[in-house]
Amino acid sequence: MPRNRTVRIAVLGSSVQRAAPYGFPSGRSSAIKRRIVVGCLVLLSLVLITVSFRSSALDGVQGVGATVLRPFEIAADRVTRPFRDTVGWFQGLVNAKDENAKLKAQVAQLQQQQIQYASALEENVQLRADLNYQAPPKVADFGKVNAEVVANPQSVIEDTITIWAGSSNGVENGDVVVEPTGNPDGTGALIGTVTRVTNDVSRVTLLTDNESAVTATDLSDPSVIGSVRPGSGSSLILDRVPKQPAVRVGDTIITAGSLGQGPLKSLYPRGIPIGTVTSQSNNDANLFQNIAVQPFVDLSSIQSVIVLTPKKSD
Amino acid sequence: MDALKAGLVLFVACLLQLSVLTEYEAFRSASIVLVALLSIALLRGSVFGAVAGFATGLLLDTATLGTLGVTSLLMTLAGFWIGRYGETTARDRFHAPYLSVAVVTLLYAFGQLLLQFMLGQPAPAGAAVHALPGALLLNLLLTLPVYALARRLFPPAELGDRVREVRLLG
Repeated sequence: MPRNRTVRIAVLGSSVQRAAPYGFPSGRSSAIKRRIVVGCLVLLSLVLITVSFRSSALDGVQGVGATVLRPFEIAADRVTRPFRDTVGWFQGLVNAKDENAKLKAQVAQLQQQQIQYASALEENVQLRADLNYQAPPKVADFGKVNAEVVANPQSVIEDTITIWAGSSNGVENGDVVVEPTGNPDGTGALIGTVTRVTNDVSRVTLLTDNESAVTATDLSDPSVIGSVRPGSGSSLILDRVPKQPAVRVGDTIITAGSLGQGPLKSLYPRGIPIGTVTSQSNNDANLFQNIAVQPFVDLSSIQSVIVLTPKKSD
Repeated sequence: MDALKAGLVLFVACLLQLSVLTEYEAFRSASIVLVALLSIALLRGSVFGAVAGFATGLLLDTATLGTLGVTSLLMTLAGFWIGRYGETTARDRFHAPYLSVAVVTLLYAFGQLLLQFMLGQPAPAGAAVHALPGALLLNLLLTLPVYALARRLFPPAELGDRVREVRLLG
C-alpha cells in the first residue's frame, strides 16, 4: 500500500547556477596580489619602526598627526565625560565615608605640623640669607606648564602617558612632570619625566617604567639617599639605601635633587614628594635595605599634569 | 563605501580606546580597536583586514607618540590572518569572531612583548601574562556588540546567494 505522503525534495544545484562569489573583494584577488599587499605593508611597518626608532625624522610628521587628532580627542572626551563623571561619582560615594573620617584626622594632624613648619621655614629662610647658603634647585625655581593628559598607558606593559603640551609651550626632553594640587605652589607628587617632545604633544615616562630611576631621600632623615625604581605592580622600591640609618614605615620619600652621589646632577628639583614607605626589611643577602614605597599619585589614571620647565636665564 | 565605513568605525574605536578605556585601569587590558579590526577583517577578508590594520596601527601610534610602525605591524598581521581565516574556513560560523579575538589577543600580547624586547624597551613579561586573562575576558565581552555592529555595517552578502541554491519541489 503506497504511502499517502507528500514528498519535498531538495535538489541541490540542479538547474540553478551558483552565484558569483561576492562579499570578499579580496577573495577574488590572486594569492600573489594578496601576498604583495601584505608584504608591502609589513615592509612599510618595519621601515617606519626603523626610522622612528633610530632617528627623529618622523617626529614632525607624528606631531602634526597628533595635533590633527586633537580636536577629535577633545570631542570624544567631552562626549564621554558625563558617563565617566557618573562612574566616578558612584565610586567616590562608596569610599566617601571612610575617606572623610581619615581626612578629618589628617587635617587635625597637619594643622599642628603646619604651625611648626611655618616657624621652621621662617627660621630657615633667615639662616640661609645670613649664611648665603647655596641650595639645590627647588620646584619654585622652575616654570610651570599645565597640561591635560591625552592618553593614559595603552597597555599593562606601557608606562607612558601622552600630554597636550609640547615644544611650543617650552617643554623639553627631560623635564620633570608632577601632579597638580591645591597647594600654594600648585605642584604635587612626582609623576615622571618627559621623554619625547613634538610641537604640541609630549610623551611622559612614568615612575613605574622599568628604565626610570630617581635619586630620593627620606623627608625625616636627609642622610638616607637612594634610588627610587619600579617595584612590583604599581609600587616602587627605594633601592641602594645602606642598612644604617634605618628607614621607618610611614616615612615620606622625596626627590633628593642634586644631593645624589656621582658627577651628574639629578634632573629633579629637591623636595618633590614621591610616596610613603609601606615596608622595610633587611636580609643578609642584600647589602641594602629592602624598602617598598607606595607612590602618592595613582599613576594608572592621570587627568592632568604640571611640567616643570627650566627658567631661561637672561 | 566599505573602506569609508571601516575607516569611520576604526577611528571611533581608536577615540574610545584613547578617551575611555585607558582611563580605567580595569579596562586597560581590553582593546576595542583590536576587536573592531578583527570583526571587520573577518567579514571583509585578508587584504581589507591588513590595510585596515596598518592604518589603525598608524593612527594609534601617532596619537600616543609611540614608535611608529610597531602597532601597525602587529595589526597588519592580525587583520590579514583573521581575514584569511574568514575567507577560507570561518564563513558564518558562530564561534569564528570569538575564536579569532581570543587567539589574536594572546598572540598580540606576545607579539607586542617581543617587539618591545627587540627594540630594547622594557618588556615585563610577567605583567603581560598577568593581564592576559582580563584582556581575554574583556575582549570576548566586547566581541558580542562590536561584531554585531560590524555585521550590520558589513553584511556578508553571499548569504542571499546561497539560499537560491536550494529549490524546494513537490
